[in-house]
Amino acid sequence: MCSDPVDIETLKRAAGTKGGLLTDEVRRKVWPKLLNINVYKLPHKPGRAVRKNHKDYNQVVLDVSRSMKRFPKGMPAADRGALQEQLIDIILEVLKCNPQLHYYQGYHDVTVSLLLVVGERMAIAMLDKLSNYHLRDFMDPTMDSTKHILNYLMPILEQVDSELHDFMIRAEVGTIFALSWLITWFGHVLSDFKHTLRLYDFFLSSHPLMPIYLAATIVLHREKEVKQAECDMAMVHHLLSRIPQDLPYELLICQAQDLFDQYPPSLLAKQAALQSHKRMVKMAVWGLSATLGAAAFAVAQTAMDWGPEVLLQLF
Amino acid sequence: MAESGSSGRFSSSLTGSTLPPPRTRIFKIIVIGDSGVGKTCLTYRFCAGKFPEKTEATIGVDFRERLVEIDGEKIKIQLWDTAGQERFRKSMVQHYYRNVHAVVFVYDVTNAASFRSLPAWIEECKQHALGTEVPRILVGNKCDLQDSIQVSTDTAQQFADTHSMPLFETSAKNPNRNSDHVEAIFMTVAHKLKSQKPLVLSQPTTCGCF
Repeated sequence: MCSDPVDIETLKRAAGTKGGLLTDEVRRKVWPKLLNINVYKLPHKPGRAVRKNHKDYNQVVLDVSRSMKRFPKGMPAADRGALQEQLIDIILEVLKCNPQLHYYQGYHDVTVSLLLVVGERMAIAMLDKLSNYHLRDFMDPTMDSTKHILNYLMPILEQVDSELHDFMIRAEVGTIFALSWLITWFGHVLSDFKHTLRLYDFFLSSHPLMPIYLAATIVLHREKEVKQAECDMAMVHHLLSRIPQDLPYELLICQAQDLFDQYPPSLLAKQAALQSHKRMVKMAVWGLSATLGAAAFAVAQTAMDWGPEVLLQLF
Repeated sequence: MAESGSSGRFSSSLTGSTLPPPRTRIFKIIVIGDSGVGKTCLTYRFCAGKFPEKTEATIGVDFRERLVEIDGEKIKIQLWDTAGQERFRKSMVQHYYRNVHAVVFVYDVTNAASFRSLPAWIEECKQHALGTEVPRILVGNKCDLQDSIQVSTDTAQQFADTHSMPLFETSAKNPNRNSDHVEAIFMTVAHKLKSQKPLVLSQPTTCGCF
């Protein structure tokens, strides 16, 4: 970790293997490195001005003020209040610096996880980076790209357990049960913060689509329960959206990684695209916005398979 | 995948053996309105019998249900609690408008903007084929906060009349839970649904075969 240049691959492996980065002290050092953040040039604390005339101000305040559950139990109300104020400032600051990005409910769940580990100024730097990479697609003017990413879920299930896949198709359950998992990196649904942190280690060191692979492993892990449920949208949605709090995270992380290696996004891209009607445009939008090299490349490759005329139509 | 998947979405009508016991009709009610008006609070209060201590932003849709008895018939009331932020309803929530039997519009009596959004929500419903033909009701929430009321009962009543909806004012946080009307609100909808033609009410996925 002290080497210069830092060995990112080793750090990534450490974040992905059993137990992840283990302590917050290690996380404070490694998380910024995983996002290639210059720790000597951190953004300043936002001033009061950041709250003025901000189009998302009301929504952010509303969501943050309702986010009490995200703070450690037993934290004095005054401390929590101070952190919530910081949370509002961090979110508004990053949005102000990136006018092309749009706030979504759940963004505050990601932000609080960062703030509680790395503090205000580093949280701004990390959130800024994440918003331009891993979370970028969720921050479009609409949620169409997000919906498209959710479309990867069913093809993964189909590869592993076609019976489960078919059951879920018959139930017409859709994929919204996994929406908050995806866009908050499970921060919104897990009640034990140490599990959230463990998953953040994993996602920070992985491809932006990894949360969808983890979502798939969770559904697969609950395969028996799902198949025994009534084959009905409401029942299956209800069952899946309530995530068990005692999941074997280390196992699921390994499985998600295996699924990713076995069925990489490039392999699933076409099937995912077929899940939606306006497939061409959505694929391309996703390809352009998911800026982590491999992802964009894989999608561009897929798009090229369909012929350059498809791409040309977009420009 | 080919064999079992080929029957696709239409096969749901064949899964009779996994349906709830016969004669439990399901009324599906969608609850919509701006962010923070108290949709989660209201639905939780009705289904759990008490108001939640703290609620969080709803991301996507949440689902709660309760079994009630109306005139000797057991009926399952399903409440679909939706995210208030506009970006979610545009591309995410549509899927859940399907097969809806009734709509509950919620605004916050202490937030005039949430009242002004109602025409947009009504329009949204119309686009999903949920117009005046389905029971719709209007709920003004948080009326316990007497000092900060921004939407008068008269104004709301006029609006409700224009759109042919009954109006309820309530507080899902009323300490006296027998007088908070939440029970009455959803039971009114359920009674209205029950008095309609039964065939309309059976979920289309069950082919109305009860």
